[in-house]
Amino acid sequence: MKAFANMHPAVSMLYFLSVLLVCMFIPHPVLQAEALLGGALFCAALQKRGAALRDLGFYLPLFLMVAVVNPLFSHNGVTPLFFLNENPVTLEALLYGVSLAVMVIGVLLWCKAYNEIMTSDKFLYLFGKLIPKLSLVLSMALRFIPTYLRQSRRVSRAQKAMGLYAGKSITDRVKNRMRVLAAMISWSLENAMETSASMKARGYGKKGRTNFSLFRFRASDGVLLAICICLLAVPLIGAAVGITDFMYYPRVGVIQTTPAAIAVYAAFGTLSVLPFILEVKEAIVWNYSVSKI
Amino acid sequence: MKKWISYGILCLLIPTVVLCGMFLFPAKQYAWISLCVALLSCLPVFLRFERKSVSTKRLILIASMTALSVLGRILFTPIPGFKPVTAMVVITALYFGGEVGFLTGSLCALISNFWFGQGPWTPFQMFSWGLLGLLAGLLADPLKRSKILLAVYGAVSGVLYSALMDVWTVLLADGYFNLSRYAATLVSSLPFTAIYAVSNLIFLLLFSKPIGKILERIQTKYGL
Repeated sequence: MKAFANMHPAVSMLYFLSVLLVCMFIPHPVLQAEALLGGALFCAALQKRGAALRDLGFYLPLFLMVAVVNPLFSHNGVTPLFFLNENPVTLEALLYGVSLAVMVIGVLLWCKAYNEIMTSDKFLYLFGKLIPKLSLVLSMALRFIPTYLRQSRRVSRAQKAMGLYAGKSITDRVKNRMRVLAAMISWSLENAMETSASMKARGYGKKGRTNFSLFRFRASDGVLLAICICLLAVPLIGAAVGITDFMYYPRVGVIQTTPAAIAVYAAFGTLSVLPFILEVKEAIVWNYSVSKI
Repeated sequence: MKKWISYGILCLLIPTVVLCGMFLFPAKQYAWISLCVALLSCLPVFLRFERKSVSTKRLILIASMTALSVLGRILFTPIPGFKPVTAMVVITALYFGGEVGFLTGSLCALISNFWFGQGPWTPFQMFSWGLLGLLAGLLADPLKRSKILLAVYGAVSGVLYSALMDVWTVLLADGYFNLSRYAATLVSSLPFTAIYAVSNLIFLLLFSKPIGKILERIQTKYGL
């Protein structure tokens, strides 16, 4: 399912930045939990089931590590649970660890979704105008890597044919890879200089050249952009007036339940599950149209 | 004039971010603020590069050295921590200057993380590898002359890289800079630090001569 991936790059970039902004800078338990939930749902929608389960095996231990390790190092807080080596392990530190873990995993999940959606061509499309030289360098380097990988396999095969086998031991493997890398360097630099001559001959850097891209800003992009901005504004205003202030030390604070606070939670909750909803909607529409055939 | 204004803005931007972080967010989000600062610290070199007129040869040279460093990281994936990236960045910096070194290092971090996973650590890696390249470029003359100094630089840069990345680990795990946690992280990452240092040292000693020769030959052949 690729409903969100078909949006205009500027809109998806702004979306990711706004979710990450709230997730990173407003440390409120409800907002963090919402970000984690939204990120997890989005990642699950983007991936195959097996990959999602494998991810769980990675994130769960990480979650426990961050959550449990914090109270071992931080002894702030007033509610000791038990003593370890005469140091108190406090409830506050434990809860703070859990909230950190939720935030860290949430950010990681959103970065994962970002990797899936914001492919390098979108990144270059967005920044090509702003940093033309660097994005040229970036796009060339990205294009070189598969070429180099292919060539390095060729070099490695040729070396094997010459009798330069690599054994199982680490030193042997390292030596083998170093030989390949050294051969690659002179090949690639010679190649690069030819590319540069060819670019010069074709008039790189002359004025008035245009770029080609497939991205178009459609009405649906505009709608999504407007929704994102409105939904982002609510938690930002909430943070500015202090609704989302939350303290763990010395005593864990209370989660506000005033109407304004609930509006903040609802707005950010909607924002973070938005891509998941889009993906589900796309899947339903797809299945419906398939069933009609 | 325009150049100085943008530098001025940049110089003001970093303290502004830090101050905003201190006053706007009561729970002091050090990790994320330091992430913004790391990203902003890369900007001056990037901007300078955008402003100058750069020959196509130099552009492609940076692109291919970056791609080669990424290739090095990919080729050595099976051996954890043992990567030629820092060595490649340092050697590039020795022959083409600190700016090319910085760009190669930071772009290599950005691009290789498309394979190894982007995350909040990307700006830190960009900054760390860029910095190691920039420093190598500044110290190019003595480093080229003495193998011992080069070996020392390799080992120190491995330690420096590990120490810089551990700052991030601590900030992320604690939300603030906890000195005892930092010490614990440094100790627990000692095996990795050692691998970084040793691999940099080995790669630099083994590579600096043959790659240096190739780079010098390219320099004279194509007039870089």
